[in-house]
Amino acid sequence: MTAQLTRPLLSHADITRVLPHRHPVLLVDSVLELEPGVAITATKAVTGSEPCYAGLADGLPDSAYAYPVSLIVESFGQAGAVLWLVGTPDDERPVGTLIFGAARGVVVHDRAYPGDVLTHRVRIETITGPNAFMSGEVHAGDRLVATIGQVLAVIRETDALDGN
Amino acid sequence: MTKALTTEPQRLDDLREIVAEVLEIEPEEITETSDFAEEHDADSLRAIEILARIEKKYKVSIPQAELPNMVNLRAVYTVLAQYADWQD
Repeated sequence: MTAQLTRPLLSHADITRVLPHRHPVLLVDSVLELEPGVAITATKAVTGSEPCYAGLADGLPDSAYAYPVSLIVESFGQAGAVLWLVGTPDDERPVGTLIFGAARGVVVHDRAYPGDVLTHRVRIETITGPNAFMSGEVHAGDRLVATIGQVLAVIRETDALDGN
Repeated sequence: MTKALTTEPQRLDDLREIVAEVLEIEPEEITETSDFAEEHDADSLRAIEILARIEKKYKVSIPQAELPNMVNLRAVYTVLAQYADWQD
């Protein structure tokens, strides 16, 4: 892999202006390609200093350092949310809290480990009101890590979240 | 698709298939009047998924405001028939 020579399309700082997530749960590092409302290519570097590896015992096998699938799907969903929100004009953007709604048809093909850079390719399938349905693939270099049949991201007014 | 050949029972079966897939249950478990929330554990997100799949399949736009009305298969059919402009 060659070193990244040019600045990404959206930097990590840019992403913090789009997503409400912050360290350590902001799981998108950069955006390489973006076709608003259609598709996005975004990266997430996995390192040994991820919080998910904190406190692991010595002497564990490689498999103990497989990056959790739940975090891969969350990261994919965040990349999708960037795609959705950047493609929506400010005055049409739903007001409220961005939430991971659901994932369906997630197939894990390979595991990712510290040192891998995940590349999410996310496409928007449908947007209906404050709900975005997306699909795509996750690669680590040339390796297909996961195919994502459907991720649903939603925005809900904060008071609608109370109790229900 | 020939419109005259797509009858109400066929459409109900198609809808039942969509709902069963989203709710992850067998189509046979869904009757025309079984309540999605009460009897099949549907929540608001599942309801949105059902709505989105129907919009995609039938190429219609159904307002979110109809969601509270779409409580069972028969009700979904009635809402869809209205927005898809089915006369039969």
